[in-house]
Amino acid sequence: MKTVLLVVAFVAGVMDVSSAQRSFEERREKILVVASSERDRGFATITAKLLTGQDLPFAFAMLDSLTYDQSIGGMFYAYTLIGCYLHGEHVLPDTLKRKMREAYRVRTMYRGDTENHWVMYYTGLYLAAQTWPNEDEARWFNGKSSEENFEEARGWLNHWFDISSTIGQGEFDSPTYITTFLTPMLVLYEFAKDPAMKTKAQLMLDLLFVDFAAEHLAGNYGGGHSRDYPEDIINPLAAPSTFWAWLYFGQPETPPWNETRYRPRHRSAWEPVFGAASSYRLPDIIYHIATNRSKPYVHTETKRVRNIIRFGKEKNPPVYKYSYVTKNYILGSLHGGILQPIQQHTWDVTYVSDKPNNTIFTLHPFSSGKELAMFFPEEQKFLSDEVDRYHNVYTNPNKWNSSSPYEQTLQHKNALIVLYDIEEGTTHSHVDGFFPKTLDERIVDASGWIFARSGNTFVGIFPLKKYEWKEEDVNWRLRSFERRNGFVVEVGSSDEDGSFENFRTTLMKRRPRARDKGKHWEVKYRTRGGHVLQLTFNGKRIIDGQQVDFKQYKFFNGPYVQSERGSGVITLTYGGKRRILDFKRGRITETP
Amino acid sequence: MLKTICTFVGLLLVIASHVANAQKSTVYASVVSTKLFIVGAPNPQTGLFYQRPDDDTTWQHTGRNNIRAFGFDVLASSNGQILCIASGNGVHQSFDGGRTWKITTGWRITEVLSATINPYKQEVLYCTTPYGVFKSMDGGRSWHEKNKGLGALFTPALLIDPRNSDSLFCATEDGVYRSANAGESWQRTGLNVGGVRTLAQHPTDSNILFAGTEDHGIYATWNGGKYWEKMEAGIDHSTFYTIVFDPTNPQMMYAGGYVTGVYKSTDGGRSWRRANDGLTNLNVHSIAVDPTNGQRIYAATMFGGVFRSDNGGTSWRYAGLHGSQVWTIKVLPF
Repeated sequence: MKTVLLVVAFVAGVMDVSSAQRSFEERREKILVVASSERDRGFATITAKLLTGQDLPFAFAMLDSLTYDQSIGGMFYAYTLIGCYLHGEHVLPDTLKRKMREAYRVRTMYRGDTENHWVMYYTGLYLAAQTWPNEDEARWFNGKSSEENFEEARGWLNHWFDISSTIGQGEFDSPTYITTFLTPMLVLYEFAKDPAMKTKAQLMLDLLFVDFAAEHLAGNYGGGHSRDYPEDIINPLAAPSTFWAWLYFGQPETPPWNETRYRPRHRSAWEPVFGAASSYRLPDIIYHIATNRSKPYVHTETKRVRNIIRFGKEKNPPVYKYSYVTKNYILGSLHGGILQPIQQHTWDVTYVSDKPNNTIFTLHPFSSGKELAMFFPEEQKFLSDEVDRYHNVYTNPNKWNSSSPYEQTLQHKNALIVLYDIEEGTTHSHVDGFFPKTLDERIVDASGWIFARSGNTFVGIFPLKKYEWKEEDVNWRLRSFERRNGFVVEVGSSDEDGSFENFRTTLMKRRPRARDKGKHWEVKYRTRGGHVLQLTFNGKRIIDGQQVDFKQYKFFNGPYVQSERGSGVITLTYGGKRRILDFKRGRITETP
Repeated sequence: MLKTICTFVGLLLVIASHVANAQKSTVYASVVSTKLFIVGAPNPQTGLFYQRPDDDTTWQHTGRNNIRAFGFDVLASSNGQILCIASGNGVHQSFDGGRTWKITTGWRITEVLSATINPYKQEVLYCTTPYGVFKSMDGGRSWHEKNKGLGALFTPALLIDPRNSDSLFCATEDGVYRSANAGESWQRTGLNVGGVRTLAQHPTDSNILFAGTEDHGIYATWNGGKYWEKMEAGIDHSTFYTIVFDPTNPQMMYAGGYVTGVYKSTDGGRSWRRANDGLTNLNVHSIAVDPTNGQRIYAATMFGGVFRSDNGGTSWRYAGLHGSQVWTIKVLPF
């Protein structure tokens, strides 16, 4: 009888766990096994070895060298070291434990100057101070006691939770930097002893994941991004976010380490090991939001600009984000201007494809010491060179990431207008467009439209002024030297338009009306859906006669995620279920 | 007789010791980064360095490495025992000559560009940041924002009037501000240009100040900030990061900035000429005059290390910290 009851209980338990979570368990186990067999000197793979018990002598040797190497330090080290320690505490030899502890005395754990740096630094400091409490100032690299470090870290983390849930992240929606937010939060969730901090970490994980989920499509992080590297912008599935999508959303189906189609740039970035090692489980509702693409939807968000420290009136002006999500593509945009220095990605259409470089976008490759000096305190006349030393492409005229004061957008569903009005004398005064060679079709039509097709996704782009083509390794580069230019973009699919031919025929009959006179630079366009879009550079944005009022933008607004700006309460809805992330009260509620 | 000889020899030794001490000085330099610096990555050593003038190109490191050290201060009367560093992650303080350090600021204070110790009340400190001015009244145990009256918060520099420590001036993105009450409130002076990068006050006449600016050249006031006059005689450049008086002869002044090399004035700042012989990096961010020897000048450059002149700027030679972005350099008389 007892056996029967146990079997019933087991079956009931399994029935409680969704299929999504079951497949997650398979993937997390797979990551731990594969990462354990890696022979590198990274805390993530070492953690995998400590957890699986595989290759322990090698793991200990690598850890020993990491504690010995004085040149390594900083915020990346601060949180992965303690994460590795806490996950592996049960198998670590005492000598190694002492060396890992000693690292927090002898190393400079530099706090850094970006949001992700601070999240990593203060998560590391919080957990280290919690792990070694009641130790005096001499025992810590910064001369502060355990108590001082713990309080400081707790204070900033709570501040970050507060601003991230009310006015948004500054480094928002980054396919690369998402790793540097998720990983610390996974470690914090796992090991914070204070239940309030553990709940905040869970709230933040839910928020980070749903923020991704709402603009996720088959492993791609769609929409505009605050920061990303050019290699990932032109090849979206190569970004680190794809690894997280595979682990938590089950898409794409192939594990990143086996992926040969889109060649992940971060193949050796094993931070998702900390997800596999964590007891955090993605709520089903977020999984469904990430994967159900049965109906197209509009999703808008308000984020914030990174701290502006000079040449600006407001410290954190809002960023308005618009995404149109379908099962075939996401067309997404930021409203334009300088919203994040160096690595901004303002708009693109990213589509489902088995081939790499599954995206189309345009940009103005802007760079300026003054732009950088808005955000960094160093001397503006040297900042461009300094940034070029570690981001390589900042001043490059051919770069594929850029924040430009001379770029503005207006989007309505599957149509977008992007205008450029580049000031005379600007270092690079051309506009570039990325068209991948992996497109199934690229047609430059006599009507003025450029048509592109990849699988079921159709794209039409109408350049407002003259341009030329340049063939490059993986793409055709559209380049226009007109300082005033712009593009009307329409995106469709076989679901919406039947065929590519229908799509093209419909667009060929349409022509944007541009008005370029004096200070006035404006375009008006009637979409194939019948909506009239009108964008005036530095002027009004009008849709169907109604002026777009960004002040009406909510923190999140879409069928799945809703939140008022400043409220600290984010409501997730899916199929009659609601999950409320209440940062103000430090509470998560789910109904039914 | 023996007693007389011993007394005489003893006296000679005391005099010799005084002479030696009087000529002693220590050079400090803060290095923000080098050409190889990447935030968060393994990096070459940066931070606060010091040397004796006879150390040539060799520098000793003190404090934490890789902290993006912008400014610093050393309390001269403590003979180098009390120091503070203005760094990317806060104010680092040492009370034992650099043997131990503590970051005394918390998360609310960041990207600290300058730190200044009140020479008469060592428990009073100021630091300036992109977010304004902060003050500690208890030796760094607690810090308080002091931005009342400031129009722009980006504040690269602050100076304390050596004759009245309640009188402060700060350089901001919005001009030069003065406080008559030790930072409790600020009033804008008469300078109508922004982007002020540096300030210098005459060693004996508090009414004379010079301001170096981004793109607007050098301005001087002879009446404590009421009116400012643009200094143009001999100046061919517009961005100045540093202006200093020779403390041994305030008629001698030096200035430097973006591609300027070193400018020298021998008439109290009214006219200037370039003095760059041997200076192979012309981006000068900080200049210091040895208070024990006005002929010995140090020029800290952007990504070119330190240069030194032993003849009042007539000629220069390389003095170490290769490839470094040296933000601040000072020479202290001990």
